[in-house]
Amino acid sequence: MSRWIIALFAILLVIVGCSGGDKGTAVSVKDLPVGKPVEGKLKVALLTPGNVNDSGWSALANRGLLAIEKDLGAEVSQQTTKDAAIKDAMRSFAQDGYQLVIGHGFEYNGPAAEIAKEFPNTVFVSSSGGETTANSGAFRFYLEQGFYLAGFIAGKQSKTGKVGMIGGPDVPSIRSTFKAFAAGAKAANPSIEVIEKFTGSNDDVAKAKQATLQAIAEGADYLIHQTNAAVTGFFSACEEKNVWAFGANEDQNKLSPQCIASAVILAEKPFVALATLVKEGKYHGEIQLVGMQEGAVDFVLNPLLASEIQSEVREEITKLQAAIIAGELTIPKDEF
Amino acid sequence: MEAVVWFFLIAQFTAPVAFAALGETIGQKAGVLNIGLEGTILVACYAAVVASAVTGSWMIGLLAAVLIGAILNLIQGFFTVVLASDQVVAGTAVNLIGLGLTSTLFDAGVASGQKFSGVAGIPKLPLGIDVLLLSLPILAWGVHWLLFRTQFGLALRGAGEYPPAVESAGFSVIRLRMIALLIGGVFAGLAGAYLTLGTASSFAPNMTAGRGFIAIALVTFGRWKPMWVLAASFLIGILDWLQVALQGRSAIPIQFFMALPYVVALIVLVAVGKGTQTPQSLGLAYRREK
Repeated sequence: MSRWIIALFAILLVIVGCSGGDKGTAVSVKDLPVGKPVEGKLKVALLTPGNVNDSGWSALANRGLLAIEKDLGAEVSQQTTKDAAIKDAMRSFAQDGYQLVIGHGFEYNGPAAEIAKEFPNTVFVSSSGGETTANSGAFRFYLEQGFYLAGFIAGKQSKTGKVGMIGGPDVPSIRSTFKAFAAGAKAANPSIEVIEKFTGSNDDVAKAKQATLQAIAEGADYLIHQTNAAVTGFFSACEEKNVWAFGANEDQNKLSPQCIASAVILAEKPFVALATLVKEGKYHGEIQLVGMQEGAVDFVLNPLLASEIQSEVREEITKLQAAIIAGELTIPKDEF
Repeated sequence: MEAVVWFFLIAQFTAPVAFAALGETIGQKAGVLNIGLEGTILVACYAAVVASAVTGSWMIGLLAAVLIGAILNLIQGFFTVVLASDQVVAGTAVNLIGLGLTSTLFDAGVASGQKFSGVAGIPKLPLGIDVLLLSLPILAWGVHWLLFRTQFGLALRGAGEYPPAVESAGFSVIRLRMIALLIGGVFAGLAGAYLTLGTASSFAPNMTAGRGFIAIALVTFGRWKPMWVLAASFLIGILDWLQVALQGRSAIPIQFFMALPYVVALIVLVAVGKGTQTPQSLGLAYRREK
């Protein structure tokens, strides 16, 4: 008999315990502002696909996050999160009362739109992607502008009449930047041939080198990449064969003596602008296109190798960049 | 001449997998399935790059990779061979530890300004030939000789077929298997060293990108015969090169080419099956009868 009482007591305890927990979460969520300015400290989380020391895609996002911390005095947190863990990470940050969760990549867009429905008081934004809800959206970095300028230099300078593009995984965002590079090269030299290789991997350094060597063997003497963490393989091949390379996403001019320029994303300004919107309670789900006009994309020549680029070409690049900023020149880009 | 150039280029990129597969052959012949190969190679990669960066000597980098490979395999062997735990579980643990450990150390290292690229690599002769690459066929023949031409090799193979028979002949199955793992670890170390010091000259997290698992499949593919395993690695290397070379030159989507090496490997595995070549006690722990 006493056993039954204990069992009943245990079940009762579990029920009470569970409902209590639920109630607690609900209350804390309700306390957060709904479309109202954030009171107290703004809390911002950043999810990156790779380590923030990758001198590439993830590193640039982390600098954006640090700018939010500095300019807005926000409490910030960064986590490297991939695949199945993305939704869990988004949920736990939202439950911890973060008002803004940034997922740095196309792959965060879908989960963001889904989780946003569960947590109406947290804003979820992904870098690239096309889905929006009331409290989730995306950035669209107009990196194509930088790739176009790189392509233009490559087209003007190539001696073999062939330029190369080495990609990691074959994803729409990478394809779009490569199209811009090809468009730039064609604008400079209509008869230029563009060689495109994908390795299918973000980490495989040897594969990146192999693909780069192959593109060089096919005649490419100016190459750009989107190989992320495997970038050392790309540069190593360019150094071995003494051909010129462009850096991407981050200023990679220091990574290799063959890197003559980089197409760069500067996340600081758009990240701070986004966090300010969230802080003021003015955010509504949208896809924001940010490029050179917004100071979010730049093209940086390697000062040590400036003499390798003909002065007329350098002048043309300056003019083109000014035209892009003035809105006179629109660079092709894909929607995804 | 052109063909010779291609031959050595392909050889360079397939060598890491070939080294790993040869080492795995010895282990499997002795009855130990080393699932942790991927993790072992990754840690060896890290050790090679760090040692080479610190000392400026590729030989010390190579030595560090080989040592780490051997130690990791011995640790794994302690669990799977001595304590007779499940080989798949222990191997998976090694893979997870290898990935987590090297990624964490890499993060911390980069943050503190440690050098992970442009380290001293293996000096290259023309055509990309180097000492380690030249040693590959010799080592493959050496493994063949060890397994099929020596008494030790006979005992080793026995440990993979019917351990009690080997035990009753006066050998220690545990010792035989540990030695096989030790040699396998040295080969995994060579694989890691070649992947970093021979081709990439740098380290990146998860840079092995599945090569360890491909090596395990290649052992079956090569019917547990070292020279065939070497040939199988080269075939996969050629297919891998073809996929890079053919990309962008045909209307076929590139995903088809990327899948090509794996599809061919799968077809071959289905075609040759497991058959009687498989060591009969592969993956089975041996417990000495009291």
